[in-house]
Amino acid sequence: MLWTTLQGLIAHRFRLVATALAVTLGVAFTAGTLIFTDTITRTFDNLMGDIYADTDVVVRGSSQFEGPMNLGAQRPRVDDALLATVRSVDGVEVAEGAVTGYARIVGADGEPLGDPANGAPTFGFTWTTDERLNPLVIAEGRPPAADGEVVIDVGSAEIGRLAVGDTTTVLVQTGPEQVRVVGTARFGTADSVGGSTMAVFAAETAQRVLAVPGEWDEISVVAEGGVGQQELAGRIAAALPADSGAEAVTGEVVTKENQDFTAETMGVFTLFMQFFAVVALLVGAFMIFNTFSITVAQRTRENGLLRALGASRRQVLAMVLVEALVVGVLASLLGLAAGLGIAHGLKALLDGLGFGIPAGGLVFAPRTVVVALVAGTLVTLVAALSPARKAAKVAPVAAMQAVSVGSTGYGSRQRVLVGAVVLGAGVTALLLGLFADVGQPLALVGLGTLGVFLGTSVLGRTVSLPLSRAIGAPLPRLRGLPGELARENAMRNPKRTAAAASALMIGVGVVGIITIFVASMKATVDQGIERAFTGDLVVDAGASIDGGVDPGLAARLAALPEVGAATGLRVGPAVVDGEALLIGAVDPATAFELLDLQPREGSPSALGPNSIAVFDETAREQGLSIGSTVPVEFAATGTQELTVALVYGEELEANGPAGTYFLSTAAYEANFSDRFDWQVYVKAAPGATLEQTTTAVEGVLADYPGVEAQDKATFAASITAQLDPMLALVYALLGLSIFIALLGIGNTLALSIVERTRELGLLRAVGMTRSQLRSTIRWESVVIAVQGTLLGLALGVLVGWALVRALADEGIDVFRVPVGTLAVVVLLGALAGMAAAVLPSRRAARLDVLKAVSSQ
Amino acid sequence: MTTSTLHRTAQAASRTAARTVDARKTYGLGTTEVRALDGVTVDFPVGTFTAIMGPSGSGKSTLLQCTAGLDGLTSGSAFIGDHDLSTLNDRDLTVLRRDRVGFVFQAFNLIPTLTAEANIILPLRLAGRRPDADWMRQVVQTLGIVDRLHHHPAELSGGQQQRVAVARALVSRPAIIFADEPTGNLDSTAGAEVLHFLRRAVDDLDQTIVMVTHDPTAASYADRILFLADGQVVDEMQQPTADRVLDRMKRFGE
Repeated sequence: MLWTTLQGLIAHRFRLVATALAVTLGVAFTAGTLIFTDTITRTFDNLMGDIYADTDVVVRGSSQFEGPMNLGAQRPRVDDALLATVRSVDGVEVAEGAVTGYARIVGADGEPLGDPANGAPTFGFTWTTDERLNPLVIAEGRPPAADGEVVIDVGSAEIGRLAVGDTTTVLVQTGPEQVRVVGTARFGTADSVGGSTMAVFAAETAQRVLAVPGEWDEISVVAEGGVGQQELAGRIAAALPADSGAEAVTGEVVTKENQDFTAETMGVFTLFMQFFAVVALLVGAFMIFNTFSITVAQRTRENGLLRALGASRRQVLAMVLVEALVVGVLASLLGLAAGLGIAHGLKALLDGLGFGIPAGGLVFAPRTVVVALVAGTLVTLVAALSPARKAAKVAPVAAMQAVSVGSTGYGSRQRVLVGAVVLGAGVTALLLGLFADVGQPLALVGLGTLGVFLGTSVLGRTVSLPLSRAIGAPLPRLRGLPGELARENAMRNPKRTAAAASALMIGVGVVGIITIFVASMKATVDQGIERAFTGDLVVDAGASIDGGVDPGLAARLAALPEVGAATGLRVGPAVVDGEALLIGAVDPATAFELLDLQPREGSPSALGPNSIAVFDETAREQGLSIGSTVPVEFAATGTQELTVALVYGEELEANGPAGTYFLSTAAYEANFSDRFDWQVYVKAAPGATLEQTTTAVEGVLADYPGVEAQDKATFAASITAQLDPMLALVYALLGLSIFIALLGIGNTLALSIVERTRELGLLRAVGMTRSQLRSTIRWESVVIAVQGTLLGLALGVLVGWALVRALADEGIDVFRVPVGTLAVVVLLGALAGMAAAVLPSRRAARLDVLKAVSSQ
Repeated sequence: MTTSTLHRTAQAASRTAARTVDARKTYGLGTTEVRALDGVTVDFPVGTFTAIMGPSGSGKSTLLQCTAGLDGLTSGSAFIGDHDLSTLNDRDLTVLRRDRVGFVFQAFNLIPTLTAEANIILPLRLAGRRPDADWMRQVVQTLGIVDRLHHHPAELSGGQQQRVAVARALVSRPAIIFADEPTGNLDSTAGAEVLHFLRRAVDDLDQTIVMVTHDPTAASYADRILFLADGQVVDEMQQPTADRVLDRMKRFGE
């Protein structure tokens, strides 16, 4: 029996490859992602291990602050005076303080390096004099020793064309800092780390430009010989004053914490990539199902003969399943190999996006092999189960009967019931996740989405017939008889059409969700800016939230005669009433000339160092009014009780200055150690044109490399443009799954053509030209492809709507369906259908008419 | 070319619906060479019903397929009207089949997704032509399938399916109809019906029909029978009866 199966497989190599391809790609995604994340995790684990390799104890702020956006734990800084305390502890050989902060190096061409708003961070560090505490190694020149000296990483030196001895600018929170490059350094052996740039200063300079004079982020300690980490940490802890707010932990603990944080960050990425692997495998499952269904139908007579010769149902079932097993294992093995390629590709892609990863071989864990093989094989077997059962049901008498290539119906009543239940459960989960007060809303939305997709697939064959009829309705008029036949052919086997279309539906559905989500987000941003921003220009440092421009810029701009008002916006992480968020801060004296935030109660002028402003709706939800207090936790100062001094009615969404809460600059300075304006808003003076104002502002900005003035529209566009690189990646990945689905349509068509050989031969005999025949197949493909696209978009709109609703609290409150874009997607779907039909239709047109009509 | 030559050519064409001249068809090479047709020269006059008979492998189906433009000859010529088939490319051959030739095969004559009516007018629609309503009515009435026009093939009996196929062959008023074992899959009653209609098409509608068959009864409906053996025409019989055909066939076994 096994031998019969294997011989059959070898005889149908092409079919085998086409079927396996889908599973291969799904497995490749899975394996590629695992290999890639393992590689990055190990690289960073090693890196973290290296950094603290010789550090025995770290003294740092004891309170830990978890802000929004997965930024990692933040701690308050410790006082300079502790350094002397630590050094006096018995067993301490060396102790040095260090700070880390935002520093953006300006290249020789005047352009700042890196793109912290979208890419890897731009760091400033302290140069630690003891080698054991310093992961950096001088490549050329010498360490920084005085104010105005800097050492930069080799990577930045190359990209910025800066050499030892050159003078340049580093943008820090105190403004542009003129520095001389006295050396270049490597991080271990790496020229740069993850695409980030490094500017390294002497200790006191670092404190001044990166933090606050007299404070350290942490103090690193090397123990004297024979003193253990644990023991020394205990001694230091005992020596620390009770009110210092500091703690002493071992180097091992810090390394472990850092590695855990890397794993957690990678976890998000892994989840994201695994999502695409699941999409690809689902698409693959539909293809396997279709291929096996068709080939089993084609072998009805063969299976009847086997049964007549004495094979049991079990044996026939086993034969098909063994075939699936072989296909699954082979495809998975191929996928595993392709996964290595994908991992390489992802690495190259990240390099290209500016997140270079230090060199090192790919990590190929045994777990990867097991997961990939099991996933690929299991998906194949499950997808082949129903066709196999159908094969086993063939009666022995079928061997003696003419094989009728009948059409399949709508699907049984049970199937409709199951489909409806799954779909219903999916929609329910979706709605619960959205509107009910449950623990894991996003997980429910995710599960609901899966349910909706699966339910729709199960119901596919029931909706397929009317859909094909409707989509194909204009074909007879447009394309005459070939059009009519195309439509009829798409309708004759709803099960097959539905499976081919479902594969496409999944990819298109996710494209639809994302497109709608992004459109809604853009619309929200545009609307928010349109309503609330009454200024003319936005000065943006192109920095992420931990950087920006020094507050002096806003003052300089405000002083310009062409400028009516200028105000800076600061942003920082905070936990307000238990909710981690980015909170904005503005100067109440100037901000309200530019921002129309619709004060409802209280007054902007009342916003002081101990007050907070609350959005109208939030105030209502939380039961807040003027005078109530809100607990707000900051990284630097811990929990503070702030008093509500203003309730405002207009949120400026998505990275805008005022979300659900905002502070005054005074309150910000009291609770944050950073002194950056993230953005500066400018309004033209009465009588000054926008051009005059822009010119004047740009004159000042000449001193601030990389800082740009944008008008309203550009500003709105640039906010959402931050998503573009991510979107490009997502669309590329989805494009791949759509491509697999198209291969699936092509494969289904090719198999259908084999099945319809005689019919096509008859058509050719009675006068159908080759081009008419090609047209018939092409349009059938278009009907299938458009069906998948439409189903996908319908689901995309539904789930997209759900997602936007789910995120209403996060500030996206406009639901926008980009009709034009989606129409283009449908058109592309139709074109893709045509492309998928190229090979099958050519093959059909080459059919030998005679063979077709005379095969009896 | 003078008017009289044109006239004579037209007359020649009108007398002969199709013909072959020294038609040869070989398959394979060297020792495995099979001569399916070995120098066949035949005429199929307009308004006649010709049956082609012969044992398995005699080349009767090959002759039909090559004359109908479904297959090419190795050497010699085949004509439909005055079109030399060997000079036509695939497209022209297809158009010729569509406009000038009707086909009835043994099985699988109809497109399962189309109704009987749509199947009948299939060649016309492929050509982008509208059927002549009167002619269509006459054909379907003659074949007795008026009440079956909106059925799909799966809903028709074998005999009804073959009658629909005959209607399709007739409706485009082809120069010639080729029928390959048209009753091979039918019981004797249904087969007799179909043959009866083919006969009427010749007598009443002045059609030309060439039919391959191995059934002496079926062949007896023809005006004449060509007997093939080993790729050659070995005998011809005019106004056959089933008994005479049976006798002649028996001699092939000797």
